[in-house]
Amino acid sequence: MLATRASTRNVQRIARSFATVVDSAGVKVAAVDLNQPTSSVTFLVKAGSRFEPKAGVAHGLKNFAFKSTAKRSALGTVRESELYGGVLSTNLSREYLALTADFLRGDEEYFVDVLSSFITSARFTRHEYDEYVKPIIESEIHTNLSDPAVRALELAHALAFRNGLGSSLFASEHPSLTVEDIKAFSQSAFTKGNIAVLGSGISQEVLTKLVDQSLSKLSSSASSSSTPSSYFGGETRIPSHGLQTIFVGFGAAGTPSAELAALSAYVSPTPSVKWSQGLSPIAPSIAPGTSVQNIYIPYSDATLVGFLIQGHESASVKAAGKAAVSALKTASAGLKGDDLKKAVAKAKFTAASAIENREGMISMLGPKVLAGSQASGEANLSPFDKVSESAFAKAASTLLKAKPTYVCVGDISSLPYADELGL
Amino acid sequence: MPVYGPLSYSLASNILASKALTRWFTPFANWYANLAGYRKYGLKYDDLLIEERDDVQRAITRLTPRETYDRNFRFKRASQASVLHAPLPKEQWVKPEEDVRYLLPHVIEVVKEDTERQMWDTVAVGRK
Repeated sequence: MLATRASTRNVQRIARSFATVVDSAGVKVAAVDLNQPTSSVTFLVKAGSRFEPKAGVAHGLKNFAFKSTAKRSALGTVRESELYGGVLSTNLSREYLALTADFLRGDEEYFVDVLSSFITSARFTRHEYDEYVKPIIESEIHTNLSDPAVRALELAHALAFRNGLGSSLFASEHPSLTVEDIKAFSQSAFTKGNIAVLGSGISQEVLTKLVDQSLSKLSSSASSSSTPSSYFGGETRIPSHGLQTIFVGFGAAGTPSAELAALSAYVSPTPSVKWSQGLSPIAPSIAPGTSVQNIYIPYSDATLVGFLIQGHESASVKAAGKAAVSALKTASAGLKGDDLKKAVAKAKFTAASAIENREGMISMLGPKVLAGSQASGEANLSPFDKVSESAFAKAASTLLKAKPTYVCVGDISSLPYADELGL
Repeated sequence: MPVYGPLSYSLASNILASKALTRWFTPFANWYANLAGYRKYGLKYDDLLIEERDDVQRAITRLTPRETYDRNFRFKRASQASVLHAPLPKEQWVKPEEDVRYLLPHVIEVVKEDTERQMWDTVAVGRK
């Protein structure tokens, strides 16, 4: 039954994609206009923590965004954007730094200018770093790393990928960062090959023209590169207050595959209907008050798959962890028939619904625009139709053969060790 | 601009703009700076800026740690000399080439920011 339904369902019909990618003066520009009342322009820069020459520089650069440039001061940017009624935001991931402006239709000239003047003529003054940037960096570190879930994921990345993708999104608690470091990083990162401009609710021609005007003088030296990721794995235990948190997972180097997404979707304990238990193999073992979240994080050349388990009691966390590991092991032996179709459908839905909103579309399709590959929702979803039983079994068993990544944050005297969970 | 203060009215820029005027005034300016005597107490001209003002206070926080240290050292040395009622030994006098305006650019920057904030606080927005 699922087979017939799955083949007739036409997810591809929804035109969530960047129709064309224009190379405007060396910068890739892509826009899609769905007639929304607001427009959004994102400058996606290959300046994530993966590419930073010194720990925390990417975090520093992210917080320097929208400070004074040759064109306007930090205050001027804020006040003028307020007058136009726009919102400026930044988002840092391990691979990309996204500078985004959301605004009403018609104000694109001003907001593209704000974004591009940071790229081309940011001043990086020492007093702005001391007065505005540093306090924000410190408070971001404090709020994020005091959350055990964020902390566990940071540690998991560090164990799984060591350098490159393993480098933290946040600067260290007492950073030895200087403005010169940040400025040097910005100069190496803000080059033509490193930037993609993505528009939504704005026509391709208008955006291309504005980018042409503003970024034509940008240096076109080599784009950022880092060594290809490889997976290591390991175990760490960090004492901390708050919820008892463990991360159990595996990583794989190489382009993220639909098989691993399907595996993660299969073991996901998130029910499809609210307040129900769902059919997940883990769900019956989750005690009330304990949460199990499946983690599937794809990067350009690596994937991290696993579970984040949080709860008040170490015992219930341990029970949920055991169930999660055994479910992962069972699934890695291979899925048959409807089980696989169910998993693929769930993974496909997750991938398709992720590009429904703007942030999702930028984070899913933006890297493809930057890489010059086909940036459409269809291209994103088509690998799911090709998942076969044998390919799934192969991908899953290879994943589980690697050394596991195990992180526990909380009361380390009572939280389980990796071998106690059956890893 | 205030009549008194670090950024009070000055003809220096007008004089420096003209070559002839600069040539005539430089000896007089040097004579005046030496006569003022602050160099004999190991101070630079920017140490004499009135600092009991919010803008100058903010400018002082923008000095590099090294500049702040040196500034405090000069103050300490000068007050000691003042206690002794005698200028410093001649080798410790500040040489004219060392007497640079290290604080003024920061003060100008701060005043510019304050002016801009005032402008944005009182701006009248019109329809285009």
